[in-house]
Amino acid sequence: MSKSIEAKNLSAQLQYQAFGNPPSTLPQTAISNAFPGLEMDFRNVWKRILVGIELHESSNLVVAVDKSAPPEAQGLAEGYRLMHINDVSVMVEVKGPQYVGGPNVSLPDTTFNDPRMPLEWSNALAVIVHEFSGQMVQCKFESLEDPTKTVQASLMVRPFFDEEEVDGEKVRRAVIAKDIAPPGELTQSLCSPWQNDYRECACFYWAATRPDYVNVEARPDGTSTGNNWMQKDRTPETPNVYIVDDWMDPTLVNYTDLFRHWEKSLRFIIEGKDEEAPPPQPE
Amino acid sequence: MSTNIQSGSLVQIRRNSTAVPLPHAPAPTSFHLFETELGAHVMLVNGSRVFTISSEIAAALEGSEGDAAQLLAELGLSAPEYITGAPLTDSPIRSLSLAIAQKCNLGCTYCYAQEGGFGAQEKNMSAEAARAAVDMLLSEAAAGDSFNLAFLGGEPLTNRKLLRECTERAVALAQTKHARISFSITTNGTLLTPEDGEFFERHGFAVTVSLDGVGEVHDRTRPFKSGRGSYDRVLANVRSLLAMQQRMQVSARVTVTPANLFLRETLDEFLSLGFHSVGFSPMLSSPTGAGEMGKAEMDVMLAQMISCGEEFERRVARGERYSFLNMTNAMRELHKGTHRPYPCGAGAGYLGVSADGGLYACHRFVEDPAGAMGDVKSGVDVARQARWLAERHVHMQEPCRNCWARYMCGGGCHHEVIHRGRPACDYIRGWLHYCLQAYIRLLERRPEFFYA
Ligand code: SF4
Ligand code: SF4
Repeated sequence: MSKSIEAKNLSAQLQYQAFGNPPSTLPQTAISNAFPGLEMDFRNVWKRILVGIELHESSNLVVAVDKSAPPEAQGLAEGYRLMHINDVSVMVEVKGPQYVGGPNVSLPDTTFNDPRMPLEWSNALAVIVHEFSGQMVQCKFESLEDPTKTVQASLMVRPFFDEEEVDGEKVRRAVIAKDIAPPGELTQSLCSPWQNDYRECACFYWAATRPDYVNVEARPDGTSTGNNWMQKDRTPETPNVYIVDDWMDPTLVNYTDLFRHWEKSLRFIIEGKDEEAPPPQPE
Repeated sequence: MSTNIQSGSLVQIRRNSTAVPLPHAPAPTSFHLFETELGAHVMLVNGSRVFTISSEIAAALEGSEGDAAQLLAELGLSAPEYITGAPLTDSPIRSLSLAIAQKCNLGCTYCYAQEGGFGAQEKNMSAEAARAAVDMLLSEAAAGDSFNLAFLGGEPLTNRKLLRECTERAVALAQTKHARISFSITTNGTLLTPEDGEFFERHGFAVTVSLDGVGEVHDRTRPFKSGRGSYDRVLANVRSLLAMQQRMQVSARVTVTPANLFLRETLDEFLSLGFHSVGFSPMLSSPTGAGEMGKAEMDVMLAQMISCGEEFERRVARGERYSFLNMTNAMRELHKGTHRPYPCGAGAGYLGVSADGGLYACHRFVEDPAGAMGDVKSGVDVARQARWLAERHVHMQEPCRNCWARYMCGGGCHHEVIHRGRPACDYIRGWLHYCLQAYIRLLERRPEFFYA
């Protein structure tokens, strides 16, 4: 007997869970970590929010400039960062403790060696998108090489939402405008939980549902010792010391190891401890 | 698991899937089955979702009675409740209609405004009340928000000067707020001038002209107060506007009474005259009962609407434009899967303003205590509005609570329901049933109509 079901209208298409598809294929049950995420990388909607330039999705670096951009903006892709929009700063100095109970210190941006960090775009741009959609704003850029070199340019805030005509009236739809992100761009930098992000994601991130702190032993003073699961050298004789994650540390499994032979590099953890006979580590 | 998906029976699927507890009370109707020459289909009430299904699934659903929730879950068709019983809260006003003139030069037999005055003394809106209304609409506007200002009456063109002043004030105010404003007017067409046309064109008005039929059919229900027919005058005036249409859209609205039940001829005549669209609505409640449609007349109207719809299907399938408004709207809403707990925005995002600056649930409730909502000076009576939204929710309406059309219909026009009840449910459901069938056919024959 045929059990065929074909979703016809848009609400049906959005909600239908086809035979064999897991529950996570529905919008309300999806993993929906969109940062970058499995279904889409929401950060990419901000890249073209200022007409004429393209921003990096997670920092304030200008990565490309369109020929149509005003002349003063033309050189911005050569190492300039967006600092202010209409006098609102998109960077802040972050302060906080570096360890539990530690003093509040400045936590600089190590990528650009700057005491200020770029704000995440959704937060930094909320007011601008709300109030200046379709309007010109004053943008200030600063050279990475020489912070005294600045550029001011007047750029338009691209309307975020699509519009449709209903009975001759323009109505804003609950859909991201087409030219905010060309086809494919929202899905071009998804999470790769079985490749990079298997290593990249820290303890509380969703892709990190994997062992982390293993062979843990309690110490009399109430603290504990144990190994990092990515630690290569882990025989019963190895000192039981946790190596803090650093992707360049050769004593830890690195990205290439994972891509090439994850099944050899990673080991089963049983009841919190390494399985008995560790497989030989590849060269 | 996979074998049972490919070759097992429905019963097997059901046994293998997670059980959903049976509801204790009989659940309200959750689906509507319908057929076309393309197969069996179902519209799921929750979310107005439309599916083509095998005849076996259709039969299983038909026999499911109170068990439908479980069967739907097993078929992958269940969904969280799109519409809960919670009334709408926090609905900013996006649309106002101004009864800019509570007077009229026609004497239509069925008029809800009782020849313009709403049963009270004839009057014009004061400039002060009109300004306050425009300011109220736009004062909280954020950049990019869209608003609509509608002029109704009575006959709004009896107070042309104020209409223009309000329009210009609204344009200026919207500009400072970087908001969008659109305008509409519903007019009897007898006072329209080419200068009005230019003004409406300049501001992109949606102009709706009330026309109840061709020639003397129209004249019978829509005479001047003297008794003389108004059709020739209206047509003479409207022609120049029809020729001007660029930004402006001039549409005809036909109120269907027992006296003008020839919809197809009316539709084709008005479309050939160059109206942007033509729409029909039945007269269900008039202050004196005059012109109200009874059951037999509603059956005739339904057959006529379907005949117009079938012509729409033929034309659209060929890629032609055939602007039968009821059908274009239905196709758009069905394609989206629109589902709503109210029939319209009345008393929520849309309010009517009386000549004295009183706020009412909509243009038809002007001067009616049943729909009073505050006034333009002191603003919306929020307690009254909250009560309205709680009481008017479709879950609170009988027999709507258990009607398959509840989230498409929304429970019927509040004004008609409060003043006459629900005499048109068979018509509403009959029309929606036909529209669902037409939707399936058009989606197959002319997908670009929906996915332009
Ligand atoms: S008014 Fe009639 S058709 Fe509409 S939801 Fe209520 S019962 Fe159904
Ligand atoms: S209550 Fe009736 S007349 Fe008023 S806006 Fe709603 S549907 Fe229209």
